[in-house]
Amino acid sequence: MIRYTEKIRERARELLGQGKVDVFIGYKKGTVPLMNQPVMIKRAEDVDQLLWDSNCCLNLANYLTKRTEKIGIVANGCNSRNIVIHILENQIKRDQLYILGIPCEGTIDHRAVLRAADNQELLGYSEDGKEFTIRGAGFEKTLKKEEFLRTNCKTCQHRNPVIYDELLGDPVPENTEVDPFSDVKGLETQPPEKKWSFFQNLISKCIRCYACRNACPLCYCPTCFVDESKPQWVGKSIDPIDTMTFHILRAYHCAGRCTDCGACERVCPVAIPMRQFTKKLNKDAKELFDWEAGLTLETRPLFDFYKTSDYNEFIY
Amino acid sequence: MGTSKVLKKDEWLKVIEDLRKGYKVFVPTKEGDFHFFREYKDGIRPDLNFSNTRLSPKGLIYPQSERMFECPLSKDQEGAFILKESPKDFGPQLVVGIRPCDAYGFLIVKRNFDNPQYRDPWWVRRYESTTFVGLGCNEPCPTCFCNAAAGGPFGEEGLDLLMWDLGDEYLIKPITEKGSNLLAKVEGKEAQDGEIKEAESLKKESQKKMDFSFDITPLKNKAQLELFNEPYWEDVAFSCINCGTCTYLCPTCWCFDIQDEVYKNHCDRIRNWDSCMFPLFTLHGSGHNPREKKFQRVRQRFMHKLKYYVDKYGNGIQCSGCGRCVRYCPVNIDIRNVIGLMCG
Amino acid sequence: MNEWSPKITAFLCNWCTYGAADLAGVSRLQYPPNFRVIRVPCSGRVSPKFILAAFRQGADGVWVSGCHPGDCHYLEGNFYARRKFALLKGLLEHIGIEPGRLHFSWISSAEATKFVEVATKVANAVGALGPAKYLIKQRAEVA
Repeated sequence: MIRYTEKIRERARELLGQGKVDVFIGYKKGTVPLMNQPVMIKRAEDVDQLLWDSNCCLNLANYLTKRTEKIGIVANGCNSRNIVIHILENQIKRDQLYILGIPCEGTIDHRAVLRAADNQELLGYSEDGKEFTIRGAGFEKTLKKEEFLRTNCKTCQHRNPVIYDELLGDPVPENTEVDPFSDVKGLETQPPEKKWSFFQNLISKCIRCYACRNACPLCYCPTCFVDESKPQWVGKSIDPIDTMTFHILRAYHCAGRCTDCGACERVCPVAIPMRQFTKKLNKDAKELFDWEAGLTLETRPLFDFYKTSDYNEFIY
Repeated sequence: MGTSKVLKKDEWLKVIEDLRKGYKVFVPTKEGDFHFFREYKDGIRPDLNFSNTRLSPKGLIYPQSERMFECPLSKDQEGAFILKESPKDFGPQLVVGIRPCDAYGFLIVKRNFDNPQYRDPWWVRRYESTTFVGLGCNEPCPTCFCNAAAGGPFGEEGLDLLMWDLGDEYLIKPITEKGSNLLAKVEGKEAQDGEIKEAESLKKESQKKMDFSFDITPLKNKAQLELFNEPYWEDVAFSCINCGTCTYLCPTCWCFDIQDEVYKNHCDRIRNWDSCMFPLFTLHGSGHNPREKKFQRVRQRFMHKLKYYVDKYGNGIQCSGCGRCVRYCPVNIDIRNVIGLMCG
Repeated sequence: MNEWSPKITAFLCNWCTYGAADLAGVSRLQYPPNFRVIRVPCSGRVSPKFILAAFRQGADGVWVSGCHPGDCHYLEGNFYARRKFALLKGLLEHIGIEPGRLHFSWISSAEATKFVEVATKVANAVGALGPAKYLIKQRAEVA
């Protein structure tokens, strides 16, 4: 994937130089291994900061909300789907964007990589094709990327961007063989008390920092429900029921909109796999409404239209 | 302060276990991939083979959510509508394995919670009833900069005892009278010159591994408004998602919010950590928000830590160099780079 | 003396089910007394937050009822509601709220007998599950 870096820089330089865009949003190398930072480039001479590798895990659509400039942006499959949602939800206009599409081969799970290094400190990271190398004090390991993909990348069905102005490489084959919802299905067969304790346990470490909410491009409400006070839907302390309420409502706000980009899980400081909430919604949306979010600009979002023949079996 | 002692690792852990009789003991323990400080109860396995805990131990003195006052709300109950202090446990606590940066962090927070103008009763009582047994860092993390921000990987400030990991043994050095009294009761051989030298060299080796440094003079000398109006804040803030990770993980962030919660006929006044990253933090009743924009909030965090605190207390920066915010910031905003910008 | 009987929050559309309840009353039809009715202008007005708030405050069950598809006073509110509730029900049951606590129905203002039937069904279903166990907000569990 590193091969995209040069192309991104070249195209960003031209786009900025020719004045086709005012700013360019991409990733730059972070100060910590396995960590890249979203960056906004304003001048053609700064484009060499830009980079694409297997650690580009945050969703850049998050940085488009209500911007007014002409923006160049890189987008892989999930990012492009979130851009579609942003356009549909009037958070940005299509003609403001120049999208460099990236057929994506998946990003890596930094926690799994650290585990493979026995949680030793990493000092360096580099990648080459299907392998990447991590270095620390007195050790070096080369690992296979496919074994360290993030769980959402492993089951991703839309690796190629769905919307772009130019594609920076040949489309990659889509991975249609895997079942993205096998874990959800497993839990569905459990009795309620098992499900409840599973989710209670899942969020038990939550510190209510709202990183999951804020990393999500879907969460742009001017006032979040957690901050509403008349009425107050959810308490502010770390009471387990309040924390659970927060997670349920946060997930539900993503119903029919979530692209399973995994930014929420990636940013969590205590590694809560909160995609377990949104995946259930994605599964039901797919099964009940044949819906996957952000695939096209042609249809309205799931909750913004209806069919008279919609699923009705749960209603007396 | 008395002499240092050397104990085999398992002997020392046994001592800690026995201390549970007199103290509520907190130890680092591994849960999933990371370490947390937890009360040492049966079933908890202390693990001192760690770099640092994911969350700072500030919550042991200053819980994330803490009931302050309460009162009944029906007229027929005694004391209705009159807030009374909630019962709290201020029994002796022992924190074992706290890193020097985090112990130093408490001294920073102390300037806010325990000063001539204001004394936070709960923070002070909990802090005073706690004994801190530190563990020096033989291997500082690449994100650590305690050498520049605080007392370094074997810094003693804020600790009562400091442990050196000598391989099979711990050298335990008393630092305060509290620590000295505790150590005096522990059976163990006195540290010999060789061991003390080994400890000294571990400290030097460790310090050598830390490469970040800065000079605080520009932070002191530049005018607040000059720093406030610098053009770089928008760029620093661009990637910020305004979550509370940096502030909640930080050992030195002390801001809180107070909420009243009603359950049936009972009212609780609860204090929760708050974060300057959240828009609600500064939202006025009128609807006006003086820090409405993201970059203003990011600027506030850094200006507070690196300028306002410096000016107000004259005691360094409000940061102990633990590196948590550097490492766990979801978007890699690195305070070391910001220090560089502000000093530049 | 305190034999438990379920408390069920019922969000009833003003234009249909609420009228059906009225009609059931004036027709002297009997139905279980377990409901705390909240009159709403449309089933589409019922936010998932309301349902969560009811459970948080100790409701043993929640029942939302609106107009038959095609009969919405606001033309299409119930169609939107149906989509929302389909996913909400799935999510809540996935996290451990027992199936049988959350109910939806379409009842026109003329259908007093259907109202009685559904009310009985809902009350029995919730009653069979016993008191609510999950997602009940109590005094904050804090330090």
